[in-house]
Amino acid sequence: MEQAAIHDYLYHYFKAGGCDILENRPGFLKIKLTVELDKLLMNRPFYWHYIEKLGQQGDTQVLALKTNSEEEEGEFIHFGSPRLHQIFQSAKTLSPSIRLYEALTPKSGQTPLYPWLGLNVKVSYCSDWKRDYILSLGINLVNGAIVKAFQESVAALSLTPKIPDFCYTLSPMIKPINGLYRLERVVEGLILDDKHDWATDAMERWEADLQLLTQFYEDYEGEEDITAVFEQEKQALKEQYEPYVKVSIINGGLFYLGPDAIVLH
Amino acid sequence: MFQHPEIRFDRSWYDSFIKRIEQDGPWADWQLFQLAYTSEQQLAIPEFQGLVAPQHLPELKLLPHQTDTAEKVIEHMHGKAILADEVGLGKTIEAGLIMKEYMIRGLAKKILILVPASLVLQWAKELNEKFYIPAVPQRKAYVWEQCDVVISSIDTAKRQPHADIILQQNYDLVIIDEAHKLKNHRTKNYQFAKKIKKKFCLLLTATPVQNRLSELYYLVTLLKPGYLGDADSFFQDYRSGKNKVKNEEKLRELINRVMVRNRRSDTEMDWPKRHVESIDIPLTPEERRLYDSLLTLKDTDIVQGFSLITLQREACSSREALYMTIKKLLASANSQFIQETLQPIVDNIQAVEVNSKAQKALELIQAIDDKVIIFTEYRATQLYLQWFLQQHGISSVPFRGGFKRSKKDWMRTLFQNNAQVLIATEAGGEGINLQFCHHVINYDLPWNPMRIEQRIGRIHRLGQEHDVHIYNFATKNTIEEHILHLLYEKIHLFEHVIGELDEILTRLELKNIDQEIAEIFESSDSEGELRIKMDNLTSVLNAERLEQEGEDAWRGTGSDT
Repeated sequence: MEQAAIHDYLYHYFKAGGCDILENRPGFLKIKLTVELDKLLMNRPFYWHYIEKLGQQGDTQVLALKTNSEEEEGEFIHFGSPRLHQIFQSAKTLSPSIRLYEALTPKSGQTPLYPWLGLNVKVSYCSDWKRDYILSLGINLVNGAIVKAFQESVAALSLTPKIPDFCYTLSPMIKPINGLYRLERVVEGLILDDKHDWATDAMERWEADLQLLTQFYEDYEGEEDITAVFEQEKQALKEQYEPYVKVSIINGGLFYLGPDAIVLH
Repeated sequence: MFQHPEIRFDRSWYDSFIKRIEQDGPWADWQLFQLAYTSEQQLAIPEFQGLVAPQHLPELKLLPHQTDTAEKVIEHMHGKAILADEVGLGKTIEAGLIMKEYMIRGLAKKILILVPASLVLQWAKELNEKFYIPAVPQRKAYVWEQCDVVISSIDTAKRQPHADIILQQNYDLVIIDEAHKLKNHRTKNYQFAKKIKKKFCLLLTATPVQNRLSELYYLVTLLKPGYLGDADSFFQDYRSGKNKVKNEEKLRELINRVMVRNRRSDTEMDWPKRHVESIDIPLTPEERRLYDSLLTLKDTDIVQGFSLITLQREACSSREALYMTIKKLLASANSQFIQETLQPIVDNIQAVEVNSKAQKALELIQAIDDKVIIFTEYRATQLYLQWFLQQHGISSVPFRGGFKRSKKDWMRTLFQNNAQVLIATEAGGEGINLQFCHHVINYDLPWNPMRIEQRIGRIHRLGQEHDVHIYNFATKNTIEEHILHLLYEKIHLFEHVIGELDEILTRLELKNIDQEIAEIFESSDSEGELRIKMDNLTSVLNAERLEQEGEDAWRGTGSDT
């Protein structure tokens, strides 16, 4: 992540969080935190506890962040800094799910909005090595159509949290929970279509180490406590090598979109 | 047959989503929602191979051999390795980098770091400041369970109630520093380390020893039980005679798959130079008389079981150092004879007015006009020097190995900010870093060359940006001069890279070289005999070094799996 991209990210984050932006120029950002973000980021629970006990209005902190290390003032933020990761984490915590409507301005009559379920997931291939990729899928809850890169599609639309005038929403034919299960199956299908040499390789590494271990403990068979230790070592190898795919949800939501919003491939 | 890996869906999010639909919210802000997606895209790591940690550590200057090592450990050794770089190449950095890589990739969360007690805070500082890893020194019992990355001494960890708690944890990664201390598999430390549940494991050691097959065996077995087979057949296959190695090639190949050993000569680093200067110091007539008068003790019972050499070395250091010992001898003296024999020496001590070495040290310090560390073997000399320098307006701080960690740190800070000179009686233990100083005076020379190495290693290490100046004092026509010229200069001790000598001595099983030397001095009747014996010793050391260089043993570039 480039420093300029980090700066943009921070700016949008604090803006979205409702903070006053006191100073914003390339490489430097100064903001006055909201109570919510102060509590989330500044790690001073005793202060807030005390203030609230007294029934007072707390004073939130001003945060100066620099993405250009040459700047004099401020905490230097780069891709590895704990502050950025705290902010990344909080963005996720603050936005688990969403509901939005496409901001259409119909020329004539009432326009229907189709309910879409959007889901952003992280897929991780895990063994003693690991790699991940992100999938964004959407399912039309009326007709069951499914698209990839859903997040990218909706990001290009104009969206609003309130239903626009002269629009009405169609009722889902597919219940959201079933939509989720259908998307699960799609994810599963995509994973199964992928190559899994990595998993075969991990199994081989596991097998090889397990064989050495087994031989080793066979030689010590009958000695005190040996079975328990052997089991423990076997378990450790399993944890080290066992290949599996982890699918975790980043976030998701309901999107009510006009008939032409999503182009089906 | 293995078809495809198991797929595990984390469905914990589903419930809260459905509940929000039912309760009509609360719903997130669209901008934040998109930011969360962006950050996950940034944090996703698309490749199995390669290191991502360096991108997270823009302020850390990593050397090529350090990143190579981390990659090798993760990709070829599957996270179980012995890191055996020569001293000063940054094993801690390598371990930190591997740890960081695993943490970023989400492969390690629960981590235990066992280090010597004196290094706990240093590790915590480095991991927090250099790697942004929130590592916590263990102080309270609850830390084991509540904190993810914990640093402790093994001596604390193995004691109750800690041991039981630790053995219940499932560690993703265990790091053991100074792992050569675990070489004996019968010790409690070894047995404890063996029982810790661990997925990945790094053992850090500076001295992997080829000759000590059993140490090697048990260290590797701690790391990967079964890798070298059972003890009996291992020794059958690789041990010949008492402690010689056979099938060396095969063993080396095996070991290279679990051990990384970088040598200074392999790295492309620009090491600061060492400038070594030997300074011969003539004694004053009074000092000479004192030194020579010690010879009157040679064939008496007084120094029995108590080496004359010790007294001579003390006399070379300072009259104060010698007097401390003479005083003890007098106190325990129960015969008129002893009193009478020692009295002239005491008189000679009192007659000495000038300490030639201290005088020389003063001149040198004034000329250097920068921070200087003086090493002496004796506390009495240390105190004297402090007083002496103060008389001449030079501020100094004392330093002893016995100081508590906090006092060591305090003295270091005082030296850095407020004093020109640090007077140390020993190297001060591992981990004290005095790189801001570039001048060392070896006021008197220890007989164990390893101690010289440790002294120099305090300042001549990774990160030192200046050339280092070393001044060796030797009083003329004394035992000191012999040590300097007949031993240290012949084996090029001062030009040696750190760590090399350690290996040579270990391989020759000459760890008690100071005793060897003492014996040579005591048993030589003439100057000529002494020279011949010292020559023998130095040629053995030099031959071993040549062999080692030629052989390139244990080079960390063996075959990969």
